[in-house]
Amino acid sequence: MSVLYLILPLALAIAGLAVGAFVWTVRSGQLDDVDTPPRRILFDDEPRETR
Amino acid sequence: MNAARAADSPAVAEASCVHCSLPVPAGRRSAFCCAGCEVVHGAIAAHGLDQFYRLREASAPAHTTEHDYRELDDPAFQRLHVRGGNDGRAHASLYLEDLRCAACVWLVESAPRCLPGVAEVRVDLGRSRADVSWDPAATSLAAIARHFDRIGHIPYPYRALDRDALRRREDRALLVKLGVAGASVGNLMLLGIALYAGLFGGMSWADTSFFRWVSMCVAVPGLGFAATPFFRTALGALRARRLHLDLPLSIGILAGLVWGSANVIRGVGEIYFDSLAMLVFLLLVARWIVLRHQRRASTAAELLLSLTPSRAHRIDGEHETDVAIDVPIDVPIEAIVPGDLVRVRVGEVIPVDGVVHAGRSAIDVGLLTGESRPVDVAPGAELHAGTLNVAAPLDVRATAVGELTRVGKLVASIEAMSAKAPIERLVDRIAGRFVVVVSSLAALTFVGWSLRSVALGAECAMALLIVTCPCALALATPLAVTVALGRAARRGVLIKGADALERLATPGTLFVDKTGTLTAGELAVVSWRGDLGAAALAAAAEAGSNHPIARALCAHSEPAAPAGDVREELGRGIRARVNGRDVLVGAPPWVGQSARSQPAIDGWIAELAERGETPIAIACNGVIVAVAGLADPVRPDAQAALAELARLGWHVRVLSGDDVRVVERVGAALGVPRAHCQGAASPEDKVTAVVAARARGPVVMVGDGVNDAAAMAAASAGIAVSGAAEIAIEAADVYLRSPSIGEVAATAAGAQATLTTIRRNLRFSLAYNLVAGALAISGLIHPLIAAAVMPLSSLTVLASSLRSKAFR
Repeated sequence: MSVLYLILPLALAIAGLAVGAFVWTVRSGQLDDVDTPPRRILFDDEPRETR
Repeated sequence: MNAARAADSPAVAEASCVHCSLPVPAGRRSAFCCAGCEVVHGAIAAHGLDQFYRLREASAPAHTTEHDYRELDDPAFQRLHVRGGNDGRAHASLYLEDLRCAACVWLVESAPRCLPGVAEVRVDLGRSRADVSWDPAATSLAAIARHFDRIGHIPYPYRALDRDALRRREDRALLVKLGVAGASVGNLMLLGIALYAGLFGGMSWADTSFFRWVSMCVAVPGLGFAATPFFRTALGALRARRLHLDLPLSIGILAGLVWGSANVIRGVGEIYFDSLAMLVFLLLVARWIVLRHQRRASTAAELLLSLTPSRAHRIDGEHETDVAIDVPIDVPIEAIVPGDLVRVRVGEVIPVDGVVHAGRSAIDVGLLTGESRPVDVAPGAELHAGTLNVAAPLDVRATAVGELTRVGKLVASIEAMSAKAPIERLVDRIAGRFVVVVSSLAALTFVGWSLRSVALGAECAMALLIVTCPCALALATPLAVTVALGRAARRGVLIKGADALERLATPGTLFVDKTGTLTAGELAVVSWRGDLGAAALAAAAEAGSNHPIARALCAHSEPAAPAGDVREELGRGIRARVNGRDVLVGAPPWVGQSARSQPAIDGWIAELAERGETPIAIACNGVIVAVAGLADPVRPDAQAALAELARLGWHVRVLSGDDVRVVERVGAALGVPRAHCQGAASPEDKVTAVVAARARGPVVMVGDGVNDAAAMAAASAGIAVSGAAEIAIEAADVYLRSPSIGEVAATAAGAQATLTTIRRNLRFSLAYNLVAGALAISGLIHPLIAAAVMPLSSLTVLASSLRSKAFR
């Protein structure tokens, strides 16, 4: 079971990274508007230049 | 939705509008239901944006205006609302009407493809807002606004940027705490499961100790940070010597963290980190949901505020007295200074305090004074900002603008008044007793068990503090309120905060402004004396006029024949030839000058005036043949709504600025005793009446006018109805999309139902606390029981809130 002493802090460090990433997304405003972006994915790409 | 309906009935499917899918009216030889849709479809197709029709989810008839938005390019406007970027681009935010679905977003965001010079458009659907950036050298804000207008989304300047920035900071801070709490609870659960498994399966002391230390390392910083909002409110409440639910919450959380850490360090005793983390997380989730709902309601109310006119038509250069010659230019309201000449078209709100320079018209001063009858004005008459021009165009010389107008001063007084004393909320009251009971129980437990062992006493007392942490109590209110707010918003009732619901739930005195809530807010013919055939003649004579009296007469009867030789004398009446007969319609004294009357007719006129109606005489070939009584008729649903309000326990009073006789007529029609109807009340009188009634209990003020706003702010809760003035919306706690008193009754009933739900939730959660507390006192509590009971009580409360009957 001694592997736990290595794995557990490592897992928590990764969880800490995830929390850090979340805080970054909030601070950078990505979660300010959660209504519009899910609709934006419906848009097709720009049509390529005709001719 | 429309498409589905169209498919059901083939008759409709045959001819539905290409743009909005509504049926094309019979006889209209077009693929569109109206000119608005045709224009919008043309604009969309011309830019190659046909994809709109594939993306959209719902469709509605389009409307556009012909406005040119030149006022947006005025320097006065640009200084206030346009920000320059360091990339040489200008940035501005606009409110757009009718933003509904993905297709709307796509259409608006495609603007850079259609308009050269537009760099980017980003839409925020929840706030109905578009952030635009453009190259000032290549295009202008007015051109962008015109483009949005043409594609069916009418733009308005976005005036809430500062408020938005403040809210965004709050929202982000809460979201970060929510994320940290979520991560903590997830990891603590995993660690907890290992520990619980160890209880049954056996686990070496070193491993157990390691897991406990890791739990502490996650819980203390994670929860210590995530629970700061609770600590802060609890501290604030303590300082203000008030009770707040966050106080027992903070005590429970802190006791859990401190005692848990002590036990980890000591190496013996229970830790409650996983239950605590779950609690903090659930509470933050509830708070976040409530905040989102409140934001939505206030955004909707702010959108309404933005819709009030923000531009004026200024007449520059040499001022002629002839109304028809000068061409006014549109400027933002900020650009008007005293001395400017402003054109006010029919149906527009007068933007400034001023004096009529040219033109004669009728002014609806109802919003300012509550008077339902239009006032006739001629050159030289004084006008106030916020009143409505109803009959003919006017040129007005501004004497005061902005905050110096009568309305502006009224607003300032409202702002001073609307700092409402915070009500003592039901949960806070309970929380107060809760703190006392739990802490004395904890002390008793400590003393009781200390007789055997001090360590055991501390253990049991701490366990009591932790397991009785009123998690469900704190969830009970926000969940019930959120469900109610959401359902109410779907019904068109926008409630600005949770407090307003509680204020509305305790019955007291309800003041209703007559105009617009109890009555239709528009003149109509309510009685007729004399020749019934004269109605058609009067309608014919008045057919071309825009005066409210003329509209009422036209609505009363079909015109007999086209009228010729029409001469309108504003403030007096109208003269016309109909079917070869001379017809005179107007105020009795004026008609009486050129037509013969009879004693019977004079009697009728006096009778109608006595009843609070406006008598209008109709003369034919020089003889008065009929008298019409005009009044603002009572709404059909008003009687039933008042009965419902009385059943709920409200004392309804009518408080109006209108003429005393008119108010009494309305009161009599609705069965409100004469003593409860107060007419001719100035805004100050209304405040006095509201303040006097507050001494006796809760007061709700329902109204729509500027004259009601101060009273709304002074009341325990204000309700503004549809069509209300800007200030009234701002002063109110609740905004009703429909102007009817029926919705007021529904809102009061919904508020009471919500409170019933809250009470039920509180009983549930107190019962849970009783059980858990008893276990803790007797020393039988186990962390596993705590871990099971705490979420269970939260789930019960959640289910109970969703089952609520409020606003169904």
